[in-house]
Amino acid sequence: MKVDHSQPLEYSTEQNRLNILGFWVFLGAEIMLFGTLFTSYFTLVDRTGDGPTGAEIFEIFPVLMETFLLLTSSFVIGLGIHAMRLGKKKAMLTFFVITLLLGLGFLGFEIDEFMVYYHEGATLQTSAFTSMLFTTLGTHGAHVTLGFFWGLFIIIQVAKRGITPATANKSFIFSLYWHFLDVVWIFIFTFIYLEGMTRV
Amino acid sequence: MRELFPAKQVWGFVLSLALTAAALLVYFFNMSRATGMTIFIVTAFIQAFVQLVVFMHARETDDSKSIFATLYYAIFIALITVFGTLLCMIWGWKY
Repeated sequence: MKVDHSQPLEYSTEQNRLNILGFWVFLGAEIMLFGTLFTSYFTLVDRTGDGPTGAEIFEIFPVLMETFLLLTSSFVIGLGIHAMRLGKKKAMLTFFVITLLLGLGFLGFEIDEFMVYYHEGATLQTSAFTSMLFTTLGTHGAHVTLGFFWGLFIIIQVAKRGITPATANKSFIFSLYWHFLDVVWIFIFTFIYLEGMTRV
Repeated sequence: MRELFPAKQVWGFVLSLALTAAALLVYFFNMSRATGMTIFIVTAFIQAFVQLVVFMHARETDDSKSIFATLYYAIFIALITVFGTLLCMIWGWKY
């Protein structure tokens, strides 16, 4: 294994470099996955039938909390990768743990939000609008849930094996995934929630 | 301690918060739909770009060209799908 010391550790071997590029290609496919969900959502957003509209069920406070928690977690994992490049294992792990806690907070608010919707009579079966709303939000939430466990295993590995070319590479790829979830959330926040609440 | 908080990322975070606040203006103030949608589109895409460049380090290595080729291709196809579908299913074509 040829190690190139002029590059950050996560890029230091040919295999590492290709792993990262490959993950970007995967993210390209993820963009398309969420692209199709947004397409269906925008197409069906007015098909509310007997059920509520977005303006009737969306509430600003939980949505703002979710946005703030996810945005901050994205910033914190960026600090984690920075600490990793400095070779500071303890700082890196601290930032990663904070990231996952913020992710859990996000999920807490989202689950609570889903239960509120359910009690207000908006379920997956209520209307075409609620079906697509829950499918889009749920797909993002499922990604965050998966990311939580992925991150947990990354933390355990780095704690056990230290910062090596292999673990640095895995951590960096996980950080790409986590940032990407925030990018998707920006679009959900803007074009589902804000758009829905300001729709007249 | 200070070296753990690089200025570039802190500014990226501040900028993200500012853009979120800018999008919120549409919620708190009465605006026409066209103005509101313009603010939404501008703030969302800038914020996505900040994430990609500042936090995901998309520009840092020799693979940058391949990374952006993949991204632009994916975004292009996604936008075609969204707006093409809206054109067929909602807006229609008046002539």
